Amino acid sequence: MSAEVESGSTNSMAEQENTALKEYRNFLPSKIKKDIWSSKFLLFVENLSVSFDGFKAVDIPHFGIKHGELRVIIGPNGAGKTTFCDLVSGKTPPSTGKVYYDGKNITQMDESDIALRGIGRKFQTPTVFDSLSTYENLLLALPGNQDWQDNLLKRESEEEKYQILEILEKVNLSECRDIPAKSLSHGQRQWLAISALIISKPKLLLVDEPAAGLTDLETERTADLLMELAEDHTLVVIEHDMDFVRRLGQKVTVLNEGRVLAEGSLEEMETNEEVMEAYLGR
Amino acid sequence: MNRFHSVIPFVFLIFACFSNLFGQASEQQINESELLSLLKSLAVDDDEVRANVITSLAKSGDPQLERFFELYRQGSVYNWPDESGKVRIVVNEETVMDDDFNEFAPLFEPINGKPFIVNGKQAKPDLLDLEDISPGRKIRTLVNSSKFLLRLFSKDKDVRISGIKKCGDPPFLPEAVPFLKEIIDDPSVDEKIRWLSKESISLIRFSGKLEGESSLSDRINALQELGELNSLRANARIKNFQNELNELYADGEITAGVKRKFDSEITKVKGVLQGHKDSVELAGNLFRGFSYGSVLILMALGLAITFGLMGVINMAHGELMMIGAYVTYEVQMYFGHTPDTPIDSYYFAALPLAFLVSALVGLVMEGVVVRHLYNRPLESLLATWGVGLLLIQLIRIRYGDNIGVNSPTWARGGYEIAQDIVLPYARLYLIGLCVAAVSFVYFILRRTRQGMLIRATMQNRDMARSLGVRTRNVDRFTFALGSGIAGVAGYGWTIIGGVTPDMGQTNFIVDSFLVVVTGGVGELAGVLFSGLGIGVLSKAIEPMEFGDFVVGPVWGKVLLLVFIVAFIQFRPSGLFAPKGRLADKK
Amino acid sequence: MKPVAQQMVESKKSLVVLVILGFVILPFLYSIDVLSIGQINMIGRYMTFAILALGLDLLWGYVGILSLCQCTFFCLGAYAMGMHLAHHGGPEGIIDANGWKLPACLFVVYPYDVGESSGDALVPFFWKPFWNLPLTILLGLLIPAICSFVLGYFVFRSRVRGVYFAILSQAIAVAGWLVFCRNDVKLCGTNGLTRFDVIAPAESLTTFHPEDAKDKWIESHDGDMGQDLNADGKLDQLDYSMAEVGFSLSEPNVQLSLYFLTLACLFGSFFLCKWIVNSRLGRVLIAIRDDESTLNFFGYKPHQYKIFAFCIAAALAGLAGMLYIPQMKIITPSNMEAVRSVLVVVWVAVGGRGTLRGAILGALTVNLLYNYLTSEHDYGFFSWSPDYWPIFLGIAFVLVVLYLPNGLIEVVDRFKARFGNNSNSNPIEKV
Repeated sequence: MSAEVESGSTNSMAEQENTALKEYRNFLPSKIKKDIWSSKFLLFVENLSVSFDGFKAVDIPHFGIKHGELRVIIGPNGAGKTTFCDLVSGKTPPSTGKVYYDGKNITQMDESDIALRGIGRKFQTPTVFDSLSTYENLLLALPGNQDWQDNLLKRESEEEKYQILEILEKVNLSECRDIPAKSLSHGQRQWLAISALIISKPKLLLVDEPAAGLTDLETERTADLLMELAEDHTLVVIEHDMDFVRRLGQKVTVLNEGRVLAEGSLEEMETNEEVMEAYLGR
Repeated sequence: MNRFHSVIPFVFLIFACFSNLFGQASEQQINESELLSLLKSLAVDDDEVRANVITSLAKSGDPQLERFFELYRQGSVYNWPDESGKVRIVVNEETVMDDDFNEFAPLFEPINGKPFIVNGKQAKPDLLDLEDISPGRKIRTLVNSSKFLLRLFSKDKDVRISGIKKCGDPPFLPEAVPFLKEIIDDPSVDEKIRWLSKESISLIRFSGKLEGESSLSDRINALQELGELNSLRANARIKNFQNELNELYADGEITAGVKRKFDSEITKVKGVLQGHKDSVELAGNLFRGFSYGSVLILMALGLAITFGLMGVINMAHGELMMIGAYVTYEVQMYFGHTPDTPIDSYYFAALPLAFLVSALVGLVMEGVVVRHLYNRPLESLLATWGVGLLLIQLIRIRYGDNIGVNSPTWARGGYEIAQDIVLPYARLYLIGLCVAAVSFVYFILRRTRQGMLIRATMQNRDMARSLGVRTRNVDRFTFALGSGIAGVAGYGWTIIGGVTPDMGQTNFIVDSFLVVVTGGVGELAGVLFSGLGIGVLSKAIEPMEFGDFVVGPVWGKVLLLVFIVAFIQFRPSGLFAPKGRLADKK
Repeated sequence: MKPVAQQMVESKKSLVVLVILGFVILPFLYSIDVLSIGQINMIGRYMTFAILALGLDLLWGYVGILSLCQCTFFCLGAYAMGMHLAHHGGPEGIIDANGWKLPACLFVVYPYDVGESSGDALVPFFWKPFWNLPLTILLGLLIPAICSFVLGYFVFRSRVRGVYFAILSQAIAVAGWLVFCRNDVKLCGTNGLTRFDVIAPAESLTTFHPEDAKDKWIESHDGDMGQDLNADGKLDQLDYSMAEVGFSLSEPNVQLSLYFLTLACLFGSFFLCKWIVNSRLGRVLIAIRDDESTLNFFGYKPHQYKIFAFCIAAALAGLAGMLYIPQMKIITPSNMEAVRSVLVVVWVAVGGRGTLRGAILGALTVNLLYNYLTSEHDYGFFSWSPDYWPIFLGIAFVLVVLYLPNGLIEVVDRFKARFGNNSNSNPIEKV
């Protein structure tokens, strides 16, 4: 617990600095005992950066998500939000730095291993398997049967069937259970993707722009769904839509040009000059 | 337009290099009357005079004399003095008899072999009127060797070179040495020929056949000269010499010390020659690698456009090349070019035509098949394979299974860039063609408005369309461009390889796809690097030896394929892979 | 994709048709001399192609992997069986220093080293396991599967996919073809394996070595070898291999049995594929075709599944090859040219990719058409020349790709839908 204790020596600077950022200042997982930081943070990145053809898309010295937190990441276009998710979920290997999750260094793991450890991901555009029915989509998302041998011989149990039907009920897709996913509407696909994410029972959910392309009503329901999820999951939500973020009413991290600009509540951010400058341009 | 000017001179430069070669066709006419007047001195019954005549005749290098020398040796050459007793040298091989059993001799001109005309008809004097001037034994040997010596002075460079080389090969021609020396001393003679003469003299001396210089130490000296000359031909002779030495030693004619001394000299020279041979082979392999690489680049360039830029897997690419090759064939037939009556200009006329016809076929293909299949790469692979099948069979029905494209005459030789390193003109032309084609494509893509439109369309079709780009036209143009370049590749191929209807499937398609895939899709630079890389690598693998096992072309190819599979392990999207967000699109 | 239950019903119907057609109608037509044994044999060969097509369909239709080297696997199986047949193939050939008979097809093209004479020829070590028939069958399935596993392991793990894999697999096909054409790999070079006429002699079932076979033979003759001894008083394999004649491949009944065997294997393969496709793993395979990268984020490792499908397809190809060669009696490297593998894709595409029935339909249709259209026909107003076949195939194939992406099976299904469920109306089309 000593890690988070502030040194308190930098009082003049501290006024301008966002207090939340300080929390990470002296926090280096590689230097501190594992159980200390892993009990504090579910996800932590250290010196994480990636560059494409010389352009640094993400460059984050320290950043962490606590257990049970719902964190919203906002930022202007090209701020590196999605790339950050790519780095955490193993889609893109980082140029430098490390990603720690649940007490483990997951930097070099591939996507499926990371997913098996409990990081779920929903992409910006809803990714569902078009030729499979809604039911089958969720069937594949069920955890515990990812090896090929299991899949060849096992059939779904009654309990698993029940789970699927339950969640279909919840997102109003019960009638579509045998319809191929390609004939669903955009909103339905969005929910199917989220349902698949939920049913895979991850510990940490990375949700990329869940409200993109949805109607107001749908957006509202999505927000409710996320809030409900946040009760027993840790969530990272990437969003563009400020109304949606406001509705979630959670701690916000602002990314700009691949760096963490500020952290705090949305109201704080809206008064933060740097943030406004980044959003409105200079 | 301004930029275009920078390309044209370059292209012309390449062609100019080759068109220089045509100049050689106009050969100097040998003055026959001069030779005839020389011949008259043969009537003088004096060996020395005759020897002089033979020698000067030989130096004329007139190929017709070869026959004359043979006739003279046989004794078929006579003097037939006219009424005033003037010498007339004539040839008679067979006599005819009239009804009265008088023997007459139909006469022929000594040099050109035509009938000897007197008063409008062939002279047929009585055999007894002819004066025998056949050579004595001493002269006869000279005449005999003159048949070869004649070649040393031939106006035809190739004949001359082979003649000079022959002097230094077994059974060696020591009589040639004075002539060779004369050639060496003549500064007007080509450097290469003088060098070869030097080599041949040293080889003759090394053989011990030269009178007065046949001692072992003389021969070792000659060997050292050969070593200094880096003569690869000497390699074959050294073994004999060593055997000779061993025999002499066994017979006790030389002491162990002498033998050791000679042996060490031999080893030294051998080392020098081996070093030279290695560097020649290295350079040769490197060049072959580069030329193979340039062929690969030519083949893959069109594909880099249709596959790399447009995402269409054109399995008929090889067939478009085949069409380029058949256009070349048609142009050849139109010009009437055959090996006997060469009309080399056909080859340059075929280049634009091959491009245009292939581009046209490509255009039709795009319009009928390919345009439905953008963004469906696997389907485009299948449909274009069907088109390829169709094209192959159409060509097969029209032309049959095998036709011959005769390469232009200039393509047969080679340019000796350094001693023993000969770069065949055909290969050089291909390298030039490859450079020209790459510059052409680069120029179009990077320096013209159309190229900009192409790149814009290929990167974001919808965006380009919304900006008013006529993407259909851009697609047509791009596909035709890629097809045309394929045609050029097929055209270039005719200079080094055979032309068959299924040449595309057997020779090209797999190789060119591998080049593109290894290079990375969407980058011209990738094609250049992987083409050259694969070319050089495969030529480096082929001559490798593992114990008794020589890799050779087939296993070389297998190894290369394995190597590429392994390479793609580490760079799944090739040498020049798109990164970041772009990577997802492919 | 249709719900599973409905699919099962459908496939059952077409299966019944297939069973009746294959096991009853065709043999009946043969028995009343409408079909010759040659034609039965030909259909048997085409059914091996159907097995090959099934494997590719599993791979391409369901997983989306376009493999252009299926014929290489086919030939691996065919060569395995070919070597076996050659071991027991008649009296030709010589006995080598180790007591093995050098098969005639290998003997005539044996690549001697410098200074070797015919006495120095040896049966290569890799020919020896194929003496025994059960082992041959096992190897004929395993070798293609192992090759595909190695290739798949390297290629799929590094995420080579789509077109890249297609091109790479074609390169593999070319490499394989080049190797098999070489005479010095002792697989008979471009001549291929041939000159055999016997299948399943008793000695091949129970023994692993000619010496064993010899012992058994002597035993069964109670040591009385009588006239079977050579002039020098020895017994050699040339004699006893003839003594234990199995089944002659030119015998009509044997050919008919091979036809039935092939048909049974076709059913077996069909059910295997059906079972795979209908299992949960089948869903994963389809998911890979739809969106491979997303599957990663559910914790799946797609390359495992791809390797699995690739191995199954390769083993099916090997099975097809093993059934093909006793009916064709020759296998040459030309069977593994790159073009051949593309042809398999053509069959599947024409029949209908993504449905197992389509693959079978395509393989049989295209090959029967090929058989018909590669001979001269005079239609009065127009005479057909075999030269036109590639043109016909090329155009037909382009049309199928452009306008019939789901293949002929779609036409059949539409036809069925229009005319209700009288599914026996046109049995040929149902196959």
